[in-house]
Amino acid sequence: MYAVETLGLTKYFKKEGGKSARIVAVDHVSFGVEEGEFFGLLGPNGAGKTTLIKILCTLIIPDEGTAKVAGYDVMKQPDGVKESIGWLHGETGGRALYWRLSARDNLTFYAYLQNIPSDVAKKRIDALLDFFDLTKDADRLVKDFSTGMKVRVMLARTFLPNAPVLLMDEPTVGLDALGAIETRRLLRSLCKELGKTIVFTTHNIAEAERLCERIAVMDKGKVVAIDTPLKLSEMTRRFRGVEVKVSGSQDDALKILERVEGVKRVRNIQPEEDHTVIQLEVVDEDEALAKIPEVLRANGIRLIGVQVALPSLEEVFMSLTGGEKG
Amino acid sequence: MKRADIVGMFKKDKPRVKSTLRQFYGVVWANIKIMFAYKSWIIMDLLSTVASVVMYYFVGLQVDPLTLSQSGWGTSYLAFSLIGVATSNYLWSCLTRLSHSIQHEIRGGTLETIAVTPVNMLTFFIGQTVRGYLVSLIFLIGVFVVGIAGLGVQFVTTPSSLMATLVVFILMLISNQGLGLVAAGIIMVHKRGDPVAFMVASMNEFLAGVLYPLEMLKVFPLLQMASMMFPYTYALDGMRRALILGASLADAGVLADVVALSAFSVLLAPIGFVVLNWGYRTIRMNGSTSSY
Repeated sequence: MYAVETLGLTKYFKKEGGKSARIVAVDHVSFGVEEGEFFGLLGPNGAGKTTLIKILCTLIIPDEGTAKVAGYDVMKQPDGVKESIGWLHGETGGRALYWRLSARDNLTFYAYLQNIPSDVAKKRIDALLDFFDLTKDADRLVKDFSTGMKVRVMLARTFLPNAPVLLMDEPTVGLDALGAIETRRLLRSLCKELGKTIVFTTHNIAEAERLCERIAVMDKGKVVAIDTPLKLSEMTRRFRGVEVKVSGSQDDALKILERVEGVKRVRNIQPEEDHTVIQLEVVDEDEALAKIPEVLRANGIRLIGVQVALPSLEEVFMSLTGGEKG
Repeated sequence: MKRADIVGMFKKDKPRVKSTLRQFYGVVWANIKIMFAYKSWIIMDLLSTVASVVMYYFVGLQVDPLTLSQSGWGTSYLAFSLIGVATSNYLWSCLTRLSHSIQHEIRGGTLETIAVTPVNMLTFFIGQTVRGYLVSLIFLIGVFVVGIAGLGVQFVTTPSSLMATLVVFILMLISNQGLGLVAAGIIMVHKRGDPVAFMVASMNEFLAGVLYPLEMLKVFPLLQMASMMFPYTYALDGMRRALILGASLADAGVLADVVALSAFSVLLAPIGFVVLNWGYRTIRMNGSTSSY
């Protein structure tokens, strides 16, 4: 059984100003997320990620298709879904809190609604406030918090019910670098050690690549690709090239490499302390792998290594979504 | 607290215990906490309670006692108006509190946060209205304390008249809250309904005769007919009969008011729930649970 499963899920919204015109926010989306899997939804603005997450949370009613969370149908068994999820409201800058309540009271209120017994709630709230470095501000009204602090309260609230499925919309937006790192580590631990299923949306390609076991790339409401970060890279062959590691002058090496038959262009140059990594886009990788060492040696350039270069996830993303980066 | 401690804590889980009553308590608790966070508002509200009663005292000095007694409401304008003033806050609370609160929740993004928890949204919405009821109760008590203890107003407080007042009062709440649910459902979808709700509540307050005997509307037959469309008209009539004239539930006038209010309640409360449910479903259909 999948922890999260969608089948032909579709959502239309009325276009503003038009009586019958509509836009497809989520377009026949089908995928399954295994229990304990860390799953990312990656896409540019307007790709349909947030609408999809909100359907999974029962906040938006889909027009077609089905979706199940923890085995519960979002349409027919919303109560079961709600008891199984922790949800993080995305991109609000801490808006979705009661600003006239303290951080502790916001969490206590949430614990009431989540049916968490008082003794358990108190312990968890204290622990989460401490983890998110909010203990000394716990009894201050949220209205006086910075955006980062508000986001940390929201994260604590998401984890509070200890739900088996976490649906998180942009979980690290608004956090400082250290806070984002700690949050990612906690998410990974919850996934690996407690078997929680995490579905999260992000614009941050590096974050998705680092955290997710699988990623669904969304564009214009559709899932255009879904796989592991590595396989997604392998899928996009048109970006294939070779990576050449040379020591010595980068200029000399570049002049020679550009003249090698089958080299289309230099994609990237990355100077390191004692060598340079040059990425080349080529017509045929095998031919390039054979020719380049030969040509470089003949011209007296010291070659450290040459290998096939896979595109970065960013390049895959840009390729799959038509060049727009979120 | 380290990451490992958090993970360890979650490993020792305890099952959740579903309790609607506890969830309801949580909503009321949070609302009262929020209310007390607005300290200046509480002070201003207390001051305005005293000020409004004193104002009506001076208005009452200008009213000819003969005109009032000819309408059958005794000779004390202050006693007459005090009932209207004390309960009008409840009218406003029933009609506008929930819609105002839902707008606030949508704007703040908190409605979504609540909607993804296992709480029944009806429990949440009803819990939201309690704060308005409590504020109105404080206002009502304040008005009567200032009126009775401070300005010497006298009411008939026999057990039968108090019972009649209580029954009429409860029916007033149910029927007007029905209208409030309708307003909340519509405003949830159309987002900009506040002026309409304000206008309905103002018209209701004006036409129901908070400050004057309805007999004065005889010269405006259309307005008099319109006044009959509002449950508050019957509620004021019933409570005044009981508290000023000492009528019990057996009194024909009070009984007629109780029948009318019961009919309004039976009609408006279910319609209110249907419209509220429609509103909530509609915003989930059009994806506007957090947009304004």
